[in-house]
Amino acid sequence: MCDIIWCKKCNTVNYLDPYCFWNWEGKINCAECGEVYYIHMIQGHMYRGPEPRPGEKPDIMPLYADKPLEGYKNYLPGTEGRTRPYNCTPRHIYLGHADYRKFSIRNRPMRAWAPQPAAGGVAGAYGFYWDIKKLSPEVWEEYQEKIKKGEVRDW
Amino acid sequence: MTDPREVRLEDLPGPKSREELEDMKAPYEEYCRKLFDVGNEYVKPAALDGIRWMSCTMYIFTPHSVSNLAELGAEVIKIEMPRMGDPMRHTSPFNECYYYPLHDTRPKTGTGIGVLNANVNEYYITMDYHREEAKEPFYRLVKMSDGLTECYRPGTFDRWKQSYRYLQEINPRFIYVWGGGFGYGPKAFGGSYDILGQSHAGLASITGFHEDFGGHPVKHTNWCIDWYSGTQITVAVLAALYWRRKTGLGTMIEFSQVQAATRCTGYAVPLYGRFGVVRQRWGNWDTQLCVHGIILCGKSDYPDEKNPQLRNEARYVMVSAFNDPDFKELCNIIKRPDLYEKYKTHKQRVEAEAQVEIYREIEKWAADKSRSEVVRILTDAGILAAPVKNDKEVYDSEHFRQRGSVRWLDDPMMGDVLCHSSFSCGLLSETPRRKFWDFRPVGADNIKVYHELLGYPMSTIKKWYEENLI
Amino acid sequence: MVDSKDLKPHEFLAKILEPEKKTDHICWTCKHFKPVLKGSKFPPADLVGWCKKIHWPFYWCVSEYDVIKSCYAYEKLE
Repeated sequence: MCDIIWCKKCNTVNYLDPYCFWNWEGKINCAECGEVYYIHMIQGHMYRGPEPRPGEKPDIMPLYADKPLEGYKNYLPGTEGRTRPYNCTPRHIYLGHADYRKFSIRNRPMRAWAPQPAAGGVAGAYGFYWDIKKLSPEVWEEYQEKIKKGEVRDW
Repeated sequence: MTDPREVRLEDLPGPKSREELEDMKAPYEEYCRKLFDVGNEYVKPAALDGIRWMSCTMYIFTPHSVSNLAELGAEVIKIEMPRMGDPMRHTSPFNECYYYPLHDTRPKTGTGIGVLNANVNEYYITMDYHREEAKEPFYRLVKMSDGLTECYRPGTFDRWKQSYRYLQEINPRFIYVWGGGFGYGPKAFGGSYDILGQSHAGLASITGFHEDFGGHPVKHTNWCIDWYSGTQITVAVLAALYWRRKTGLGTMIEFSQVQAATRCTGYAVPLYGRFGVVRQRWGNWDTQLCVHGIILCGKSDYPDEKNPQLRNEARYVMVSAFNDPDFKELCNIIKRPDLYEKYKTHKQRVEAEAQVEIYREIEKWAADKSRSEVVRILTDAGILAAPVKNDKEVYDSEHFRQRGSVRWLDDPMMGDVLCHSSFSCGLLSETPRRKFWDFRPVGADNIKVYHELLGYPMSTIKKWYEENLI
Repeated sequence: MVDSKDLKPHEFLAKILEPEKKTDHICWTCKHFKPVLKGSKFPPADLVGWCKKIHWPFYWCVSEYDVIKSCYAYEKLE
């Protein structure tokens, strides 16, 4: 649950996430038109505001904003100049879909990509050992290359 | 003629005098290195060799309790749902990090990295044991096993005629573990998650910063109560095994996770019972010791890193200087000897108001220093201080490498895996824990268990597989 | 919606956070009192609230059965 600032100028709902604004006094911009609003929140309840303060500098940007009366138009978190930027691990590390890898950080092979060859055994039974040379020859080749280049480390 | 009953020191093997004993003693460091012999755990005997355990478990909490046994040498058969496996296999951080294969029928689906460390050294079979046709192999496994761990809602296994009441009749030495949320009682049908344990037991309410400092109840990022309660179950299982040695009888262990988590709240409940006082959060400081907490320094150890976790967060230092000389030294270092004059005794320092003032002054002093500078200055002065490390730094830590707590495992099935859990649980000189493999695909050991152990013909196994029974 | 125009923060909170009970405790006019809110199911039935002061940082449970008439930590709400 969070409070909102509904900007009547441009009909945008700016969402105030509870953790940041639980006890908070300051100015926030509207994500769409940039109008600045003053609020004072105490224990998650809006005590003062939102009052428009045109021309003043905002202290913080809203987390997320959308325009519910105009379909699905929205500003996702981290939209530059409109909503609050992320301050966490850069998203380029996390892709949002399975990240296939063939080698660990010390460049030794690991089975982290799909598809893999089927078990071959009855009832889905696998052998004990991943015979990489036989089952994934192209990775084995790549591994040999890495060994030759001295990229394979102990740590 | 000497009395044959008399034992003379000279006749005994070993050192003959105190001096000789001192001479023969290796330095303690060397002795430990030889005794624990990190990296060569695999040649030593395993403590629980000969114990066979069935694991009808899911997620982290109950699987981890069995994994403990398997790391100590028990033969564990993990029974999963056909084609699906443990639901934990399908959860992965941000749905990105998987190992493959999962199962022949699902070539593009993998096993999430979250499952690691929770089902070590186990044999993976599949069985839909609630079906009537599966009762026979299930009961036959019970007959030849020492125990079973399950995590279904209370009474589910009873409905399926495989609870302790039934299994005891087949195998009176059987140890049966139910691990789950609330257990029998008013919330018998409540399931459990780690976060529920942390919340319901009152642990989250005393984690994080105080309300007056703008804090909220905080859960631990990792599922620490799952890991913790799993280990508690293992303690109960080991006691039950010892009891069985003495009496020849099995035990039923009924383990509620939300109940176990109350143990972590320390004195909170007795405090309420005595005074009607409700313990509150006290963040990175300590309610009984001061100075004994984590402070924030002004500068990062990695000011130019792209990753904010390194850039902004490599600024925390744990400081401990609670006895008088240490605290005096600390006050001198931060150039506030008046603080020591003000709070001369520990009783005065540990007061909440005093702590607020003292930590504020230390952080003021650290405001223009980096984490490593602060640690160096304090350590040089003989005060305990350590950087708050992230996982990368744990990986790089020489301390963990030398003791073998963090090490690379060439998993026979999944390849290169960095592991820590098995080898971080304390060293045993004679029967150390060890990790042969982390996990295997769903049903990977079906033939080994159904054919080689139970002796069912391959045609039966094929038939069961086609019927989705296994 | 409470009109908070002329209210001080604590008066505003008192309007918003309606307590479950009303008793003779002196605590009701003390600024360190944190009442049990209306509709709360969880706390024990006899609690009227918590004192945030006398055991700070911990909270002391104020029961409706020990009616407090005077207190060394009492500070009147302005």
